[in-house]
Amino acid sequence: MMGPQMGYDRAITVFSPDGRLFQVEYAREAVKRGTTAIGIKSSEGVVLLVDKRITSNLLIPESIEKIFKIDDHIAIATSGLVADSRVLVDRARLECQINKLTYDEPIRVEGLAKRISDHKQQYTQYGGVRPYGAALLIAGVDNNGARLFETDPSGALVEYLATAIGEGRDTVLKLLEEEIDPEKRISFEDSIFLGLKCLYNIAKDKLNAETIEIGYILIKDAIVRKMDPKDVREYVEKVKYLYKDEINKEDKE
Amino acid sequence: MQPIDIKKDETKMNTKYLMLKNAGFPMITGCEEKPIIKNKELFEKYVKEQWIGMCVKKGDYLFDKYISPGFAFKAVIVEPENSIIDESTVILLEEEIVDEIDEEIEEDFKKEYRIKFSDVIGQKSAKSKCSVIKMFLQDPDKFGDWAPKNILFYGPSGTGKTMLAKALVSETNAEMVCINATSLIGGFVGEGSSNIHRLYDYAEKNAPCIIFIDEIDAIALDRRYQELRGDVSEIVNALITEMDGIKDRRGVCLIAATNLPNVLDNAIKNRFEEEIEFTLPNFSDRLEILKRYMKTYPIPFSDKINLKKFARYLEGYSGRDIVEKVLKVALHRALINDEKEVKEEHLISAFNDSEIIMKKKRNLPANNLYR
Repeated sequence: MMGPQMGYDRAITVFSPDGRLFQVEYAREAVKRGTTAIGIKSSEGVVLLVDKRITSNLLIPESIEKIFKIDDHIAIATSGLVADSRVLVDRARLECQINKLTYDEPIRVEGLAKRISDHKQQYTQYGGVRPYGAALLIAGVDNNGARLFETDPSGALVEYLATAIGEGRDTVLKLLEEEIDPEKRISFEDSIFLGLKCLYNIAKDKLNAETIEIGYILIKDAIVRKMDPKDVREYVEKVKYLYKDEINKEDKE
Repeated sequence: MQPIDIKKDETKMNTKYLMLKNAGFPMITGCEEKPIIKNKELFEKYVKEQWIGMCVKKGDYLFDKYISPGFAFKAVIVEPENSIIDESTVILLEEEIVDEIDEEIEEDFKKEYRIKFSDVIGQKSAKSKCSVIKMFLQDPDKFGDWAPKNILFYGPSGTGKTMLAKALVSETNAEMVCINATSLIGGFVGEGSSNIHRLYDYAEKNAPCIIFIDEIDAIALDRRYQELRGDVSEIVNALITEMDGIKDRRGVCLIAATNLPNVLDNAIKNRFEEEIEFTLPNFSDRLEILKRYMKTYPIPFSDKINLKKFARYLEGYSGRDIVEKVLKVALHRALINDEKEVKEEHLISAFNDSEIIMKKKRNLPANNLYR
């Protein structure tokens, strides 16, 4: 039945006349409601930075996780519907163990990313279910070096030098494009400064070291680590000091 | 209403001049057709035949008996007073009843607004287009075929679209018809499109003329919504033939304003030479709005208020949001507390409350759903 485009978003498995899957696009909008998560590759490894955005004093900040350890050498940062993210993370962890049992070796980052995105794609083609409303940044180190992947609700999988998901995605991507030279690899320290600068740009004066989490995997040992809150605070203070004028300058124009 | 026996009143003179004014029907049920006088000579003969022999004085009501029974004319001038209508009476009409249609449109606003261009803050491209329109109104022949014809203002609500139109009225002094799109929708089939044609007829007659249609998404919907509202196609087709159709409406410029440019029909959208976006104010605009409007407070405000800080907080607010939700509420709070001046605490409390409204406006759902 020909009708307004409203008719094409009821069932996920129905294309619109101009070839779009509206449910998938709406799922992407759900991701935009999540807080920002940034992933940046450096010469020494890969780092994930998130702003947890805690709004109530009643919440226990340590229980709010956005960076998850999936295996010894892989971490995932999520953005979007919290429950969908959790389910995907559990699935990722399961895949890692299955791989270890089956092949007696740790899963490759790309392999895991593909399995997760294949799983997400199923939810865009078979009827009765809705897509996952969550995007993931999959970061890890294997014998191919440091890898960073992004998956979105459609099941698309893209590898990046640096990327962001969540509400600040557009702003951060613009900044990253300006600052990163694809020919060179920045140092680990610089990647942290760059990531925090992006988070600062989004939160502006409301940037709070208590709600920022930094996870990283270094090539030399391929172990997932979370930065100590004390160190996070130090970095945030430095970034605020360095970039305060630059961030506020845009307002004055 | 009955003819008086002439024999009884030989003392009375014959009416030389009788000026009539439309008085309308005594009761309205909605189905009456207002009479339009096309032929004055014929009308004169027709009414004289009905009223001959009647004694009439100033203020009397004379009724039509045949075509529109019950339609009354008021005798505004009777020369000489208290006389009898006869063959030689000259019937005059106070108003040109012939062109009654225009009256309705003229009701629709040639008002005095006290807004100037400088009162609208930001929106540079919109203001520069308005300057072009001003130029066009002052010298339409200079533009000729290149005159501005159809312009669309779109953007979130509260960003100054209607305000700029009001400023245009005040600043140009030219003929301008400001209409809300809903007043063009009719109750009967065909009424909507005929309203549009009448509107353009009036505008062309008074060229150079600007038509400003506010909230045009009420009538210019994409024709795929025809199932939802039966008159969409009819009105849209009327609009597109008038905006750029067979009849060349020289000297008529249409400015349309809407919050929802996406639901407009493509044929209408394509006829707009420019679609000007009205954006939410940036930091310096917000600062300017705060400064400008706080100056007009009835009570002074404290100089300790850090306006720059507020301007930074008010990100995402439209001009109207700032003035109504923050400044007005702050002023009211100060007045209620019998304060001599508006202090920072009033602004802060107003801002905090407005943030609750703004969160709803930004449609943020429960925080625990998304992270």
